[in-house]
Amino acid sequence: MNCAMRVLCLAAAVWALQIPLTAASYALQDPPPTPDPLPVVEEPPQPEDADITVTEEVAEAAAETVEAEDPNAVDPNSPYLAIYGADIHTVTDGVIRRGVVLCKNDRILKVGTKVRIPKGARRIDAQGMQIYPGLVGVDSSGIVHGGGISIRDDFDPFALNVDLGLAGGLTLVQSGDGIAKLTRGTLDGVLAGQTGWVSLGYSSNSPSGRRKLREDLRIVRDHLRDLRGWENDKALGEKVAEAPAAKGINPQYLALLQGNAVARFNANSLKDLLAICDFLEEYPMQSIIFGGQEAWACAGRLGRVGAQMVITPRAKGWADQTLNAPSGWTIENAKILWEHGVPFSILPEQRWISTGGLAGRDMLTLPMEAAFAIRGGLPQEAALRAVTLDAAKILGLEDRVGSIEAGKDADLIICDGDLFHYRTFVQWSVVNGKVVYDKQTAPYFAHIRPRQANSLEEVLEEIERALDVEEVTDERIEESVAPAIDEPEASAGTQ
Amino acid sequence: MLASLLLLLLPPALPVAQEPIERDPTGRAVIYRFDTVETLDGAALQNVSVLVRDGVIERMGPAVVIPANAEIHDYRGTGKMAMPPFVLTHADFLIGDRRGNGGNGRFLAVDSMWLPENWSQDLLEEGVLLVGVDPPGSGLPGRSSVLLADGQVGVPNPLVADLHLKVMVPTGSSGKRLVRDGLKAADEAIEKEAKAKADWEKARADWEAAQKKKAEEAEAAKKADPAKKVGTNGDKAAAGENGEQKGDAKGKDQGEEEPPKEFVAPKLDPNIEPLVDWVRKERVAQIWLDSASDWLHWQDLLGERELPYELVLRHGSGQNFHEVVEQIAATGFRVDVIADISFLPYTRTRANLPAELVAAGVKQLVLSPTSENLSGVRSYRMAVALVVAEGLDRAIALRAMTLEPAASLGQEERITALAVGAPATFVVWSGDPLDPMSEALLVLSEGEVLYDRVKAEKEEQR
Repeated sequence: MNCAMRVLCLAAAVWALQIPLTAASYALQDPPPTPDPLPVVEEPPQPEDADITVTEEVAEAAAETVEAEDPNAVDPNSPYLAIYGADIHTVTDGVIRRGVVLCKNDRILKVGTKVRIPKGARRIDAQGMQIYPGLVGVDSSGIVHGGGISIRDDFDPFALNVDLGLAGGLTLVQSGDGIAKLTRGTLDGVLAGQTGWVSLGYSSNSPSGRRKLREDLRIVRDHLRDLRGWENDKALGEKVAEAPAAKGINPQYLALLQGNAVARFNANSLKDLLAICDFLEEYPMQSIIFGGQEAWACAGRLGRVGAQMVITPRAKGWADQTLNAPSGWTIENAKILWEHGVPFSILPEQRWISTGGLAGRDMLTLPMEAAFAIRGGLPQEAALRAVTLDAAKILGLEDRVGSIEAGKDADLIICDGDLFHYRTFVQWSVVNGKVVYDKQTAPYFAHIRPRQANSLEEVLEEIERALDVEEVTDERIEESVAPAIDEPEASAGTQ
Repeated sequence: MLASLLLLLLPPALPVAQEPIERDPTGRAVIYRFDTVETLDGAALQNVSVLVRDGVIERMGPAVVIPANAEIHDYRGTGKMAMPPFVLTHADFLIGDRRGNGGNGRFLAVDSMWLPENWSQDLLEEGVLLVGVDPPGSGLPGRSSVLLADGQVGVPNPLVADLHLKVMVPTGSSGKRLVRDGLKAADEAIEKEAKAKADWEKARADWEAAQKKKAEEAEAAKKADPAKKVGTNGDKAAAGENGEQKGDAKGKDQGEEEPPKEFVAPKLDPNIEPLVDWVRKERVAQIWLDSASDWLHWQDLLGERELPYELVLRHGSGQNFHEVVEQIAATGFRVDVIADISFLPYTRTRANLPAELVAAGVKQLVLSPTSENLSGVRSYRMAVALVVAEGLDRAIALRAMTLEPAASLGQEERITALAVGAPATFVVWSGDPLDPMSEALLVLSEGEVLYDRVKAEKEEQR
């Protein structure tokens, strides 16, 4: 092909592709604002700011090696990852409009609207998108295998379910007593912790089981009382015998009453929930209740005993007309729990992940379940907390994940719209500072509303792909298609 | 006349590294003449005569003088060609029994075999001369063996009974724990032996020091009282009238200071023994992997250790080795892979893993049939042809069916590229071996015809 033909071809391709050079537009959102140029090096360095100092050092080091090169050049091995141009839903500090999240290695380094991006940093141009903390899947099944520390030995970092989890926005899942990060492609850092929950059966179906549990706990409580008395005596300098022996004491129950473990209950009916409240009043301990279909009818009591809930807003159970008490499910369950200050996380109807199964009702679409709670009156921010920070709190990892704050783990998802909207897809997932999922390149959802190129580089790449030519230089593009790029209609035409 | 003929027959120059082969120059010579010979060392040769005598290729080239008494097989103009035979590294369909998951290092593959009557005929028909067999079971099931397809039946008489240690590292805690515990046990055994040796050396040194001291004392005593006889004390010297008694007395004298016996290493658990050899780098292990995830778990197990190993990639449903081809290539070890076009996971995008491995820098590639049974062997050439059609270099593919697997089985001197001085071990094909219509007509092992299709078919008709 001669040169003129190539130029013609390129022009034709650009016309045919009609690739908008403005920000990608998504039907859900307000019309995108005119994109800013890359927010690089705006702020003067502040010597008292430790982070800035670090970035400067790196920038200097980089400058020595790649002097006079493109300041926007990207080093794929850079410890920095900058995501810019998107609205950042921090969870703890509101929404930052069109800000930058700068990650270093596996942590978030800075969040804000004016953040210096170090030279060479890996970048994601997320203009017009929404950044959320990675979602936390409590009580998942089939995404990771094994339990406890064996999760590391059982983890398949290339498994379909890991990819699907990331595509669904999950970055951390609990399965059994193990908590795993979805570190695609590596085993490093997969084990995030262990729950150490103690499952307690406290169902009305087994009155003897309840009695036995209370009896066992009474022994532990008596022992603790004796122990405290003995310690007091000892502290007062009185002559004391040997410490009371912990004979016949269930160590798990001891940990529960000492506040070193968390009790896990399953209960849906008001009757069972109230019984658990009674139990927790008698034996105060940290607790998580899974189910909670009729929790709306005793939300105040659940709040007072400090229970945490894991609910499924779309789990339906009809009211029992023979009962002289509130019963059945309500779409307002989550909202009522929220109003009574009961922290909760959300679990879909099915706990595994699949491209088949019950569509929209498994871990692949966790936000849809939360969206249903929003429909029932739960504020959107509370729904976001329920699948991020509050879920992390239930797993005891709220100091590491669940919100976008400096110092926390760099586990983020970048969505092309509101997290709770049915059209929204996760475009990128970031775990431990690494981009582990990109909708455009992963084989699952790339074909559904493909992401449109929104930078010159991406436009060039797309043309190269379309024409299967070796390289398209900037000069050639400028000379051949520059007018087309400037045409506002060219970009508007595809909206 | 005869002398000049003999002179002509002498090879002009033997390859430098080749040991001079002693053979009877008057022995019976056989000449094979081909349109093409795939020597597998550079380009194929055209219009070649191969003079075989005493199991060795004595001369090879377009102009070979034919000895008067030579037997001549002229295949020119028929499309027939010669090439080294195929070697299968994992002919595990020859294994008769099954074992589960375990740390059974004591087993040899050959222990689990009973050869049926036609096994070597079946293999030779497909141009396969050598096979490796693996112990059954998973985890650490034992060590592989090597067989020559020479018609033996019943209890096999292997070429090599004890070759590689087979290690399977499936993703999952139990398999990983098995290998981890095995390596730990090997480390402990080595440590125990080192400690025993150190103790023995110390005892030996102490004894030597004591002897030296005693000798010095005796020397000093002798100097002080030259009249006294050499010896430790008068009584002993007096008792030592005859030589034998003297010797005994000497031994007794050293009674408590008897020299420590020769060092004997502590007895090893036979299940651990091959692992100890491996950790000492005296044995190669074959690491069997099912998916990219297995590779990461294997790397996790290996940690900082440096152990010699080969990889056997057998992708299951995952088919995702492409995720780690660069890492695998970076090890520089031999890779055994199925000659198969797979699909990228969850897509219909075709992937040529052998070609990807070569592109990533794998130098020693072994291609195995797509299934470990006889029909896999029968479709082997077709499978490789497909992989070659979709991008794998043909020369690399042919080596990966012959010389590389032979080297993996430690038989690189038995099956070599065809050259003057090399053993006359080759297969005569009716056409291109990668053409599924071609057939193996003759299989020669060191000049001996192990399989002749015409004869075999005649016998079958009878």
